[in-house]
Order: sequence, then C-alpha cells, then structure tokens
Amino acid sequence: MLDDTLLALADPTRRAILARLSAGEARVTELAKPFPISLNSVSKHIRLLERADLVRRRRAGREHILSINPQPLDEAAAWIAETRAIWAHRLELLDVILKEPS
Amino acid sequence: MTRTVTVTRRFDASAEAVFDAWLDPKKAGRFVFATPTGQMVRAEIDARVGGKFVFVDRRPEMGDVLHEGEYLEIDRPRRLVFTFLVPQYSKEVTTVALDIRPLGAGCELTLTHEGVLPDYEAQTQQGWGMILDGLAKVV
Repeated sequence: MLDDTLLALADPTRRAILARLSAGEARVTELAKPFPISLNSVSKHIRLLERADLVRRRRAGREHILSINPQPLDEAAAWIAETRAIWAHRLELLDVILKEPS
Repeated sequence: MTRTVTVTRRFDASAEAVFDAWLDPKKAGRFVFATPTGQMVRAEIDARVGGKFVFVDRRPEMGDVLHEGEYLEIDRPRRLVFTFLVPQYSKEVTTVALDIRPLGAGCELTLTHEGVLPDYEAQTQQGWGMILDGLAKVV
C-alpha cells in the first residue's frame, strides 16, 4: 500500500495531476489538457494513481470525473516522519553516550 | 520500490568516536537497538565486511526481540553500511548507511535508511511512543 503510494508519487506528471486535483475534481480530458503528452499517456498515469487509491473516479453520465483521495498521502508522510523521528532519537541517545565520562 | 529516510546530526565528538560507537557492542546496544523498558540480553558484533551482528532486546510486553544484520562497508571513520532485519516484524532486509564527515571540532553524521517495511509501520508507531517515553527520562 505504501509502496503503491510512493511509486505513484515518484513521477512529475503524476504529482502535477495530483496538484491539479487538489484544487478540485476534474474530467479526464480537462486534466490532460495542460500536459504535452498524449491523452493515452495521461490515462496511464491516472490509472496508476487510481491503483494507489490516490485518485478516485466517478461517472456522471458519459463523463468520468476524477477526484483526489489524500489519505494515502497522509500515511506516507506519517511513515516518513516516524522513521525519521526514531533515528533522530537514536542519534540523540548516541550523543548522550558520547558525552559520558569514559 | 525503495523507500529512503535520511537523518543528519552534528556531534561534538570526533568522527572516530562516533564511528566506533556503532561497532562497540556495549554502546550500540544502548542506542541503536535498545528500548527504554527492554534489557539487552545479547549484543554481538563481528566488525568486518561480511561479519554479522546480533542484538536481543528483552521487552516486558513482547519478549525477546532479535535484531540481526551484516556489515557491507566499513571505512573508518567515514562510512559504515549494514543490513538490518527484525524477523519478528518483517522478512524484508533493509539497509542503513552512515556517512560521517569532520565538522569543526566535531563531526556530522548523515544516516540513510532504505527500504523500511509497511508491516513495520504499526510496530514503528508503538516503538516511537516507547522511545519518546525513554527520551523524556534521559534528557
């Protein structure tokens, strides 16, 4: 799950798509317009984002409307923050140990 | 997919002293693999490339937690790389790299941890709480 999230985020086009969706939901064609790549390529990026559950799709008649789901982003950020905090704490302990009179 | 976390910290101690602490079983057992409520019942380091380390932390709520790994690079006092596995939490081996450079009278250490597991998350969260409790006691 976390792997899917980080993989999805590891591409500038996908990050740009998420940035656009964070401003509000959009149709696939609307979303593809600013990118200098084919609609097909944009669709592939969108599918990857959907697999990571970062993007959700709903149908309104014949339109596919996409929206952002921020929850996996929160989880990825939490994981990074926790892992970093654990090591920061261990290095803090190391500093304390090194300052002890030998 | 590799996940990477980087932490940097400055020390007043020399690069050699910081480096050596990681390969000293008594010291390493107190800061790398220890928990505030645990008791380090086994701490073994075979400090050569290809050598293994084993640490067993006896925790009141979990029993004996084994930490094991292998040294991949030992370049005193600049760089130390080792693999790191806690079989109780996950089967995936992760890698920790330390880069130490002299800075003023002390040194700066950059730690890079690659490939930490999603399964490990819940445990990490639990561990973090314990660690913060311990920090409050130390400082």
